[in-house]
Amino acid sequence: MPILETRGLTKRFGGLVAVNSVDISVEQGEIFAMIGPNGAGKTTLFNLVAGLYKPTSGQILFNGRSIYPVRDFWRTYSPPFAAYYMVLDRIRRGLGLGPMPLGLKPHAVTALGVARTFQNIRLFAYMTALENVMVGEHPRMHAKVWDSLLRTPFARREERQVRERARELLRFVGLERQADQYARNLPYGFQRRLEIARALATAPKLLMLDEPAAGFNPQEKNELMQLIQDIRSQGITVFLIEHDMKVVMEVSERIVVLDYGEKIAEGPPQKVRTDPRVIEAYLGKSA
Amino acid sequence: MSQPTGSPAAGRTPKPSWLGRVGRAQNIPYLLLGIGLLLFPILDSNRSQVDVAAFAGVWVLLALGLNIVVGYAGLLDLGYAAFFAIGSYSFAILASGQFNIHISFWILLFTSAFIAAIFGVLLGAPTLRLRGDYLAIVTLGFGEIVPRVFRNASVFTGGVNGIVGVDQPKLPAVFGWSGNFGFNPIPYYYLIIGVIVLSLFLINNLRNSRLGRAWMAIREDEVAAAATGINTVTTKLLAFALGASFSGFAGTYYASKLFIVSPESFSFQAVSVVVLVMVVLGGMGSMRGVIVGALLIYFIQSYVLIQLPGWIVSATSALNIDFLTKLDIGSYVQRSNFLIFGIILAGIMLLRPQGLLPSAQRKVELEGGTSDEAVADLGSA
Repeated sequence: MPILETRGLTKRFGGLVAVNSVDISVEQGEIFAMIGPNGAGKTTLFNLVAGLYKPTSGQILFNGRSIYPVRDFWRTYSPPFAAYYMVLDRIRRGLGLGPMPLGLKPHAVTALGVARTFQNIRLFAYMTALENVMVGEHPRMHAKVWDSLLRTPFARREERQVRERARELLRFVGLERQADQYARNLPYGFQRRLEIARALATAPKLLMLDEPAAGFNPQEKNELMQLIQDIRSQGITVFLIEHDMKVVMEVSERIVVLDYGEKIAEGPPQKVRTDPRVIEAYLGKSA
Repeated sequence: MSQPTGSPAAGRTPKPSWLGRVGRAQNIPYLLLGIGLLLFPILDSNRSQVDVAAFAGVWVLLALGLNIVVGYAGLLDLGYAAFFAIGSYSFAILASGQFNIHISFWILLFTSAFIAAIFGVLLGAPTLRLRGDYLAIVTLGFGEIVPRVFRNASVFTGGVNGIVGVDQPKLPAVFGWSGNFGFNPIPYYYLIIGVIVLSLFLINNLRNSRLGRAWMAIREDEVAAAATGINTVTTKLLAFALGASFSGFAGTYYASKLFIVSPESFSFQAVSVVVLVMVVLGGMGSMRGVIVGALLIYFIQSYVLIQLPGWIVSATSALNIDFLTKLDIGSYVQRSNFLIFGIILAGIMLLRPQGLLPSAQRKVELEGGTSDEAVADLGSA
């Protein structure tokens, strides 16, 4: 069973079709890359999966569960809302309008096990590196408001564990010495790594990296590829957008190519590299 | 901000005793300050300064509460007076001759904090999609509506006259003291110190907790916070609720100390703006800063601005220049109270834009001390 699957996924912004009926399926445990010229809809697709945008139509399945449109109302919403949505859903289907267009909120998608990084780094600038990673642990923590207010023994124990795990993650991405520095004061390459550490802190099953190698020198790119391999060897599926062909070809097992919001090719690197449609999309039609 | 207390070494060394931890060198100024505060009523013989201090405590509480919303969660709230009013009125209605209900102050202290928190959620919910200026406008509206409702719902609130004869706290009699607070400022003084210490304890816990980190993450970047699994809706509502609950404490205390509540006490310029100024000027997100800001603004408002005309009159008459005395600068000064207040505020902000005692974050933000490259990277994000 694929860990992530989209079926006929479409997103329109007014007249612009950013993602047009795209079917992809990311297999459990693989490194899957998405490439395509600028404006092909890659980041939009990430945002759709992450719950930041709502699809115009189509379906997204994560681990076999439909995260758009939501089907299992009782598992997803509190009872009154679940009942309300279920009734509306029945009516819509009865009228032939399709299912209720309900998607999970970004935090709920993350809690299911989808973590992401952003193309333009989005760290918590005035928090330390350690705190950034500790925020990432949020969905795994169980301290309630009362625990936080009164600093109960449970909250204290959990804080200690979370701090320890966060330090381990910083060590994993090679930032243990920068733990107490503000995120904004870190050099660019470290900021990218910190973002990956923060995403890993949410204990994802699927990690989505949006152009992780952007602005890296060859040395940093090699380190990044090693890091991606290390992440995968922990059993985390990696889904990345990348422009750097060297990185894509070396690290990924399968590649999907988008152009103008449509899927134009899919397959292992060797096959995609020689695909005439891909070459055309990148270099233009030869006369 | 957070000290690296979780370092492995700290876990292995034997824990110092409770007394040992309190007596650490870095705590000594605070210990001295604490002892000074406890002895203050004994040193002040005529009790008038104790009375002023007992009122100043209200503002410290309000500033600490607003600091949760503005300083930690980064939600600009211009209607904080509404929660203060709700706290005051819910105490006054349930502990006065208005309906002849007289519930104990000690129960209502927490009940009205709870009621204020509920209203924090109710007023916070419609504003969740708003940010920055837009949020400020809507909360400003709430801040204006709530006192107006209290003024017009005269059946419950006594309308313009407010509720007079609010109950006062009672304790069991001890050491020859009857236990009645009455109009004696000294027990009120100790009470507000106690409430502030409790609030500091709770807010400090919040700041270093899962919830506090979530607030700061939302303040820094809401999209990234959601992407790291923070439910921004409930987290923001909790900021409104918990922020409001501290003004519920303040409101209860204020009503019983003042003996009356009236809608005029909760206007925008009398409360909302003043508390916001205390937070910003003291140092957003810093508890120490906010306390200093609250005390300083209260001192300027209730002492400097009132005494200033008198000082000027005595200064001009001491100079004994006929021309100056005729100008009657004192009365001008009296009429331009707000202007002078504004000038003082603008002056402090020009000198210390990060606040008097800024939080670590604000310090970095305004003093720089970083490579331009890193700034540019995050600036484009």
